[in-house]
This record gives sequence, C-alpha cells and structure tokens, in this order.
Amino acid sequence: MPQSAYSKIDRTILDTLKPAGRSYWIGVGLLGLGVLVGAACWTYQLLVGIGVGGQNNPVGWGTYLINFVFWVGIAHSGTLISAILHLFRAGWRNPIARAAETMTVFAVCTAGLFPFIHLGRAWMVYFMLPVPNQRNLWPNFQSPLMFDVVAISTYLTVSVMFWYTGMLPDLAIIRDRAAGMRKKIFTVLSLGWTGAHEEWRHYSRAYLFFAALATPLVISVHSVVSWDFALGIAPGWHTTIFAPYFVAGAIHSGLAMVLTLLIPLRSMFKLKEIITLRVLENIAKTIIFTGLIVGFAYGTEFFIAWYSHNSVETTVFAWRATGHYSVEFWIMVICNTTIPLLFFFRKVRTHIIPLFVISVLINVGMWFERFVIIITSVARDFIPHAWGLYAPTLVEFGIMLGTFCLFFFAFALFVKHLPSVSMTEMKEVTAP
Amino acid sequence: MKKSADAPHQHVMGLFRSEDQAAAAIRKLAQSPWKLRRVHSPVPSHKIAAALALKKSRVGLFTLAGGIIGFFSGFGLAIYASTQWHLIVGGKPVVALVPFVIVGFEFTILFAVFGNVLGFLTQTGLPTFKRLQHYDARCSGEHFGILAACRPEQHRELAEFFTRQGGEPRIFDAPSPTRGQAP
Repeated sequence: MPQSAYSKIDRTILDTLKPAGRSYWIGVGLLGLGVLVGAACWTYQLLVGIGVGGQNNPVGWGTYLINFVFWVGIAHSGTLISAILHLFRAGWRNPIARAAETMTVFAVCTAGLFPFIHLGRAWMVYFMLPVPNQRNLWPNFQSPLMFDVVAISTYLTVSVMFWYTGMLPDLAIIRDRAAGMRKKIFTVLSLGWTGAHEEWRHYSRAYLFFAALATPLVISVHSVVSWDFALGIAPGWHTTIFAPYFVAGAIHSGLAMVLTLLIPLRSMFKLKEIITLRVLENIAKTIIFTGLIVGFAYGTEFFIAWYSHNSVETTVFAWRATGHYSVEFWIMVICNTTIPLLFFFRKVRTHIIPLFVISVLINVGMWFERFVIIITSVARDFIPHAWGLYAPTLVEFGIMLGTFCLFFFAFALFVKHLPSVSMTEMKEVTAP
Repeated sequence: MKKSADAPHQHVMGLFRSEDQAAAAIRKLAQSPWKLRRVHSPVPSHKIAAALALKKSRVGLFTLAGGIIGFFSGFGLAIYASTQWHLIVGGKPVVALVPFVIVGFEFTILFAVFGNVLGFLTQTGLPTFKRLQHYDARCSGEHFGILAACRPEQHRELAEFFTRQGGEPRIFDAPSPTRGQAP
C-alpha cells in the first residue's frame, strides 16, 4: 500500500527521536561542560560577591542585564510565529512553530536566570515576590523592575502552557507508536489524548484563545523590558520610542535565532522536505521588515537627539558613534540594519550558508545593541565627573558562556526526546 | 440479557483514510439504529465537526472569567501592596493607577490563560485514560475512527455498515463464543 502523506510526516518526525549517535552525545557533553563552567563562575560570584563582575559606578548594569534583555528578545519570535502568524493563518509557520515555541520557553528560562545572577545575593530573590517579608515591606508596583517581574513570570507561564497544550496531540502520536516504559511515560504526558471530536472542539478553541492572549502579551513584555530603561532619566534611555523599538528588535533577533537553530536541525534530522527552503525564505523576508524597523528606530534616536537641541542627548549619541564604544556601535548598526538587506537578493535568501551566516551576524548585532543601550547611556551621564567605562570580567564571560550553553544544551536534549516539528500542524496543511 | 438502556453494548470502530468518507459515514450512522460514541481524528476537521453538528465550545467563558478575575486581582494586589507601604515614591500618589495598569494587564492575561487551560481540561475531561479502552492507535496517525455501539448480536451488521461506507471495521470487546458471538 502506498504511504500516505500523513504517515510520511509521522515517520519523518518520529525518526528524529531515534537513539542518538555518538557525535550528538559528544556535542551535548560539550554543552554540558559549558554549563558547568557557568555554574562554577556563578558559585564563585556567590561566595566572593557581586564585585567579581565588572559593574561599577556609574555602569551598574553589565552583561547580566545585556544578556537578560537579549534572551527575552530571542523569546519573542517564538510567540510571533506560534501565535501571531497562527491568527493570520500563515500556513508556512506550521513546520517551524514547535521549534520556535521551544526556543521561547528555553530563552525565557535563560533570561530569568540573570536577575538572580545580577542580584548578587540570589537568596534575596523573594524580595521581588508579593509576600510580606520580615521587614513587612511589599514590592513597589510603581517600579518598572516590578513590572518586569510580573511580565516575565506571566510570559514564562503562558509560554509553557501554550507549548505543552500544543504538544498534546503529538505526545499521543508518540505514545501510540511506543512500547514498554516509554509508552507509559507518554501515556501520562499526553493526558490520555485520543483526538476525539470533543477534544478537538475544545482544543481548537483553547488554542485560538492562547494565540489571542499571547499576542498582546508578547508586545507588552518587551515594552515592559524597555521601560526598565525608558522610565529612568538617563540620556539615551528616557524616550517614548523605546517600547516599539525594543519589540521590533526582539522579533528581529528572535527570527534570526530561529534560522540559527533550524538550519542545522533540518540538516541533521533530514527535515528538508518539511522545513523547506520556502519557509526559511519567508523568515528571511520577515527579517528584512524587522531590520528596516530597527534601522528606522536607530535613525529616529539620532534625529530626535539632534532635533531636540538637548546638548546632553546630542553628546551621548555622538559619543556612541565615535567614542570609546564606537566599534560595538558600528557592529550593531551593520549587523542589524545593513547585512539583513542582503536578503533582498533572492540568491542570498534561498541559499543555506548565507542564511545561516547572516542569522548568526544578526544575533551578534543584537547582543551588541543591548550592550550599546545599557552601557553607553550611563557611562556618559549628565555630570562629566561621574563618567566611567565598563568592561566585562572573566567571571561574567564564564557565566555568559554557561547560559548560552544552557540554552543550546536544553534545545539539543529537546530535539532528541520530543517532536521538534508539530506532526499535527503539518498534517493540517497537508492533504492526507 | 438485560433489556434496559444499560444493556451490554458491543463497540465497533470504522477506520477511514478519507475525511469525506468518514463525514458521510457519520451522517448515515445518525440515521441508523446504532449509537455513535466518538469520532477520533488525527487533525481537527471542519467536515467532521459539521457532520456531528457540534456546538461552539464554551472554553471561552472560562477564559473570560479568568481574565476578569485577573484584572481585579492585579489592580487589587498592586493597591494593597502600596497601601501596606505608605511611602510616596517618585512623586506619584500611593495608589497610582497608571503604573498599576501594567500589573492589571499582565494579571488579566495570566488568569485568562489559567481560565483557558481550566476550561480546556474540564470541557474535554482530560486527563482521562478511559477513552483509550476503545481506541485504535491508527487514529493518531492517518485514520479517522468512528466508534459506534450496538447490541452484541448486531456487531456484524455494524461492521458491514462501516465496510460499505469505505472503512475498515474493528470490533472491540467481542463477547465470548459461548454466547453465540463471533470470536
């Protein structure tokens, strides 16, 4: 009997869950080693104190906050792909929605580590929770930092629930093809899902509401992150453009990370027929759009600094482009706004190597964007005698390496143990 | 043998590769003496939903209720916390509603999602493992499975009905041959 399209989808994706080879476990082992390096550096910081980092007065927020904003940004395109494109009924998002949602979950978890790390005394984290503590103080909900706690916690909770609910039908597929202990585990994980009409009726509705709720949430979360800065009165921060600027940047970096993850994934697991070049091309086209918005935002910041005739703003922005951190600034501009324009050329956006290289460069550029925003404004504040510079220390680099490894470590484990492409959503856009 | 409504039933599933054939079989089954129990499908199907004349899901009511609870909880928490800590910060009043909109908004979304999940679980009855009793694993792959119940002596007829509709019948919990049924 000829194989139907549905069973071909199942077989292709279930093949990715077969026991991994040695090279996979070597890769996972190396990533695990990186995680241990990060954990060791954090332990050292806990024992010695936050002073082992390069943060100083006036630059009080270093790589910990840079990485926090970077990972929250990465998380955003997962929701864009799974929720916003679902509402627009963009069928091309179906092969990549699961990987993007997973990326969101792990990126938010990674981001969530940095406020703990930056606290120094991480055990004081409960001060951020709305519980009366021994000093009978409650969190100040007028503070943007508390907005952040509420927004990121909500985003993590919603993303995990969205991700898990969306995976139920796929977990049932694995259960139905498994045996022994694996079958028992997936029977529990799938909650007994059978694809009964009553289940689909409520599932479709619930999924739609998930998407409808996640869409404003995702926009609010990075807006809230931007207000960590915009509500401060530092030059270069105190601006109304920050919320849309951050949201566009977040989606820009997240889409780039989707390409960075998917290109090796489709190659390693032979998913070329599922994650087609057309899907990657559509991501590249969206990156052109977000890159143009980001470029427009960069230009607007400079324009407003000049147009306002505010000498402090003008000086800070001139210093960004020509001062101590000008290399970081130009890496940011070139990687985020100029290089993505290469995607206008069809030959570039339909070839794997340029797609991958450009996606990595955008990630680099977006990391430096957060560096430029977080460091330069407070390094050149209002009063010249309070100016100062910042450079990350080895401990910070170690923690950064650890968290990057943690993200890829978690993703690598995920793709081998759970379906990285939604079989159900693929079937929805395929004739049986 | 009992004659009441809870008389023993035999379950037969018709497995169809075609969504259209499954939808047609559902319509014909509705006119037959047999009882439609469930329809399993690998994907949500509008054709099957139409054949079953399903009503709109009420999950949205749970979502709405969650959202309303969240809205008031968020504002309530922010106001309560502020009044416990009676300090003027940044020149804003102790109960500053504008910044509390953010807390209220995030809680609205969070609780709406809690309501959504609660609605989904209560309406579908998940987690449950009872449905796996009369279930064919092929339904999560490429088959549309129509589960129907009949009196034990009618199971052959029901199986033939599914065959006529283009499906492959599967008979569950066949009564013992001593009762004159097929093995």
